[in-house]
Amino acid sequence: MSVQPYNEDQTDALQEVANIAMGQAGDSLARILDNFVTLSVPRIRQIAVHELADTVTTMVGDEEEVSAVRQAFYNSLRGEAIVIFTQSGADELAELLGYDCELDTAIEQELLLEVGNLLVGAILNGISETLGTELGFSAPSLMAERAPLHQVLAPDQLSWEHALLVEVNFSVEKHRFKSHLLMFMTEETIETLRGILDEFMDDF
Amino acid sequence: MAIPLTVVDDSRISRKMVIRALPPGWDVEITQAENGEEALAAYRAGKADVMFLDLTMPVMDGYEVLEHLQKESLNTFVVVISADIQPEAQERVKKLGAMAFIKKPVKTENIVAVLEEYGLI
Amino acid sequence: MTDSQPPKLLDFIVDRTHAGIFVVNRNMELVLWNQFMEVHSGRKAQTLLGKNLFDEFPELPRKWLARKVENVFILKNFSFTSWEQRPYLFKFPHNRPVTGGVDCMRQNCTLMPVKTTAGEVEYVCFTLFDVTDTSIYQQQLKALTQELREVGNRDGLTQLFNRRYIEETLSKEFNRARRYAHPLTVILTDIDHFKQVNDTHGHLAGDEVLRIISRRLQNSLRDTDILGRYGGEEFLIVLPNTGTRGGKVLAERLRHAIESEPVAFGDTHLTINVSLGITELREDSREYEQLIGEADKALYQSKERGRNQATVFTAD
Repeated sequence: MSVQPYNEDQTDALQEVANIAMGQAGDSLARILDNFVTLSVPRIRQIAVHELADTVTTMVGDEEEVSAVRQAFYNSLRGEAIVIFTQSGADELAELLGYDCELDTAIEQELLLEVGNLLVGAILNGISETLGTELGFSAPSLMAERAPLHQVLAPDQLSWEHALLVEVNFSVEKHRFKSHLLMFMTEETIETLRGILDEFMDDF
Repeated sequence: MAIPLTVVDDSRISRKMVIRALPPGWDVEITQAENGEEALAAYRAGKADVMFLDLTMPVMDGYEVLEHLQKESLNTFVVVISADIQPEAQERVKKLGAMAFIKKPVKTENIVAVLEEYGLI
Repeated sequence: MTDSQPPKLLDFIVDRTHAGIFVVNRNMELVLWNQFMEVHSGRKAQTLLGKNLFDEFPELPRKWLARKVENVFILKNFSFTSWEQRPYLFKFPHNRPVTGGVDCMRQNCTLMPVKTTAGEVEYVCFTLFDVTDTSIYQQQLKALTQELREVGNRDGLTQLFNRRYIEETLSKEFNRARRYAHPLTVILTDIDHFKQVNDTHGHLAGDEVLRIISRRLQNSLRDTDILGRYGGEEFLIVLPNTGTRGGKVLAERLRHAIESEPVAFGDTHLTINVSLGITELREDSREYEQLIGEADKALYQSKERGRNQATVFTAD
């Protein structure tokens, strides 16, 4: 199966669209968390799934155990997003999101799902809005809790051939907190998105 | 006479978007810069009476450009164009001497509003 | 959805569908409450519409839910709750009164932004799904998986842990003890002259002896000790937080428990003895297999010295 990687212009356009989306996401998150939120400029890379574990390990670092949330999106773009959280800072997030109770397993899970949903929604809605499409989302589910990274990203865990890696560092003022977002898309979607990006560039 | 305008952004498509959104009939001579260093060079070459400046860029980012301009009390009309639209980001660049803030994606009406406010058109 | 749909048809479907649907505005006032919600809450739409959701249902987790709804307004994004983390939003009775374990309806909820043509969120629409069945199946599945795992760890004849499991346990305890510098002792024990029991009284008798000895060993241990069947008539005991001194005391207790009372099957009464080898974790212990080897050497010495005794391993 061969999918042509996006060319430089297409990648640049997607990068810019993602950048705008991140800006909006950051603003929304800041309003929700009542804190200044720093979102890095998303770095976008298109990679085959078998390279994924190594690439992400380099990004996240292999030392830590991670938790991961997956969520499907559908409509004009179809695929699945995975948000990887490094463990540190989960309790601080709880505080930021207004959980004032003891952190038990269920609450911690709920929190991961909540923030995963928030990030995926903010970024994907931003992208689809800029591109003039609309997306639906299924409920997020927990993929791994405190598991080694390579286990989470083992190829047999993922039924996708192609991944669009959107690296997003998300930190909240005075709280350290990091997450990484991976977007997996069907081949069809990769082509659809290519078409939309070309159109988008033609508009300018 | 055409106003020397420099558009600073590391993304080509983003510069294109800004240039496309410039109000029709505004008489400018456009220079493009990919990062802060190029922007300062353009300024020194007299090509940036007005500067449309992105914030997040490699080599030298928008904040650093603003700091440079402020330290050397250089005189150019800077409009920051950024996707980071949090109020705190806007305040921060205004403190660093930016005249205006326009959010991405840039729309012609937003540019017109700023230019009219300062009597540039 | 399009404008060409007959509105009455859509109203009918929304009202009668087998899921809870209700809608709130920014002030958390109800603007829609379908039949599913009416039936399960016992509250009619006409008495609720225009009222604040939290005033009418004070038992709802207000702070959390209000924030969640607010986020949908701000982010213009879907939001979800799952029974696995939060079993229910409304405490509704479920339709499976006979099923034990689940006290009320398990629910998954979706919060959906309802936007104006200008793109602003005007309402939040909740859909609430009854997932009681799913949750029950999942719980049964979990229990079954647990049971299977348990069965997989047991030896069929004696019901003690099997060799794989006891070795796994030893390996874990070995690593833990080394990391925290805690003592750890291992006892290997073997039934004396077991071959003769089999040869004289038959294999069925031999099996019975194994079962009885296993039970006696198990009953003589402390809660923290872990016993497994290591081979034919060999047993391995892992003693966390115990040195050889404690190990020796325990080994004597085991030896005595076996020796003191004859094993009975049918009309036959047999006096059975066991030999034991004891060793403990030392600084130079590199892997858990080493401990088993040492215990085996000590056990061999017990046999050499006439059986029915316990020996502590010495390095020379």
